[in-house]
Amino acid sequence: MYKADVRGPLILGNKDYRQITSDIIAPIDNKAPNWWKVAMGVAFLLASIGFFALYYTVRYGLGTWNVNNSVAWGWEIINFVWWIGIGHAGTAFSIFLLILRQKWRTSINRAAEAMTVFAVMCAAIFPAIHMGRVWLAFYIFPYPNTRGSLWVNYNSPLFWDFIAISAYLLISASFWYFGMVPDFASIRDRATTKLKKAIYGFLAFGWTGSTKEWLRYEGLSYVLGGIAAVLVVSVHSIVSTDFASSVIPGWHTTLFPPYFVVGAIFSGFAMVMTLMIVIRKYYHLEDYVTDSHLNAIAKILVFISLIMGTAYATEVFMAWYSGNPYEMFTFFHNRLTGDYSFMFWAMVICNAVIPQVMWSKKVRSNTTILFIISLIINLGMWYERFNIVVTSLSKDYLPSSWTTYSPTWVEVGIYVGTIGIFTIGVLFFFRFIPMIAISEVKSVLKPTEITEKH
Amino acid sequence: MNTTHIIGVFDSKSDLLAGIEGARSKNFIIDEIYTPYPVMEAIDALKRKSRFTIAAFVIGFLAVVGVLSFLYWTSVIDWPINYGGKPTNAFPSFIIITLVLTILSVTLGSLFIFSLRARIYPGKKYFLPDERSTDDKFIMLFDKNTSGAGFEAISSVLKASGASEVYEKEF
Repeated sequence: MYKADVRGPLILGNKDYRQITSDIIAPIDNKAPNWWKVAMGVAFLLASIGFFALYYTVRYGLGTWNVNNSVAWGWEIINFVWWIGIGHAGTAFSIFLLILRQKWRTSINRAAEAMTVFAVMCAAIFPAIHMGRVWLAFYIFPYPNTRGSLWVNYNSPLFWDFIAISAYLLISASFWYFGMVPDFASIRDRATTKLKKAIYGFLAFGWTGSTKEWLRYEGLSYVLGGIAAVLVVSVHSIVSTDFASSVIPGWHTTLFPPYFVVGAIFSGFAMVMTLMIVIRKYYHLEDYVTDSHLNAIAKILVFISLIMGTAYATEVFMAWYSGNPYEMFTFFHNRLTGDYSFMFWAMVICNAVIPQVMWSKKVRSNTTILFIISLIINLGMWYERFNIVVTSLSKDYLPSSWTTYSPTWVEVGIYVGTIGIFTIGVLFFFRFIPMIAISEVKSVLKPTEITEKH
Repeated sequence: MNTTHIIGVFDSKSDLLAGIEGARSKNFIIDEIYTPYPVMEAIDALKRKSRFTIAAFVIGFLAVVGVLSFLYWTSVIDWPINYGGKPTNAFPSFIIITLVLTILSVTLGSLFIFSLRARIYPGKKYFLPDERSTDDKFIMLFDKNTSGAGFEAISSVLKASGASEVYEKEF
């Protein structure tokens, strides 16, 4: 009993180190499969739609969107928060599990971090374009300027957000890149063509794997892990203060920071699950991303889903309990019922109800159902952001300024475009970068050996 | 000028650790160990130490002081603005930016120091005694001049500990 394994082997198939390198760099060595080319074509099409919509916005101005005086933030902010949320889990996944010494992270962290970088890049498009005159976006930097040396407003959560998102993108990208350096060296040293050796040799920054390098590399990982964990929590808390520090009913609540952070991790984990299932299936990496990996992500998702359900219930309860008529109106007449009630109930069903089926072990071991649930959660999280942004703004304190909101094709186009850009990024990642952290997976092979010898 | 090196190749971490133990018991001086993934025991055996965390802390401390001073200077000294009667030194709302910029500074600073100290940077001319060490082999390197023994002695000890191959190479 005392010798029982707490967790089964992390990597299946009785691999040796060489086999691991070969398996993981196989997609880089082989030609791109047909489905990859088709997916890239579709992604380019979507991205082109997005670029056209962006061009149209810049050319003709924000009047091409349906945002108005009341609903001043429409799809752009919804999509911004949605992408940031997805981008959140990559670093959260990687870093929280690194700090907690969870070894099962090694098969998944690389893809999760890649997802973060591409999602945050997509997210950054929205606030930039929402400025209207996007070419003046640099005004937001605090620099000695010709406008009387007028500095930016450091008290504004919107400025905090700008700083937080920029920092998050830089940090996630560098954390991701330095994680890949030893793997690039592995590819470099096994390269068969001169071109590949030169490219991956450059990317590997002269990595050799000596003890001097590994010692500092480990130090770097833990320092970055420790501080980025704080960042993960603070970035989405700051996004939530964009809303919570206003006086709009439905936004002005202290629940928002934890609610947003948890929601972000929820959507991001769902996206990690979507990606891992794709990687597993199409690149035959079932030995690395095992059923027990998906099972672990599903367990985290079902737990977070409960927190989401509690947050939704708390919001409604507090609206009633506060006795504030505006809060009561927003929740009871403009969310639970009213013009946008579909969005509210879709959010509850997608995020708090459907994921509960993952309590069942049968469901957790069925990849198809998990894949569908992961998509449903991402849809549900989009509904949540729509619900927060549009319902509160459409009917505020003055009935004379009440309005409804639906997007124009330009707004939809930009969103579709970001999905295309994200997909292009992910597909390039599949093709040219080791999808699983080779050196980290090798370091967890040993427990497998021991298990199998018993 | 080239020197002759003795290279021991091990197939697994446990063999490598036995090799380290064997080499140390005979007082051979190991020059460097190359592994496909971090092996803490090898790092300890070569008595490698790093002050990385101290450096990160110093950067963080400087960043906190720097950012807070900058915000104070811009908001209070250089161009004070009256936001609805709030004090110009709005210290609590400076904390968030300070936190985020400190994290950013520590990250960029740590990466820079890592690059500098571990000598990992774009375009670096690297030296790798055996290319298999980034794939599946654990490589132990001895400098023949400073190792404290000859090829035969080192080879027999390493092979007894499980080395799959021991050879000499000049570079």
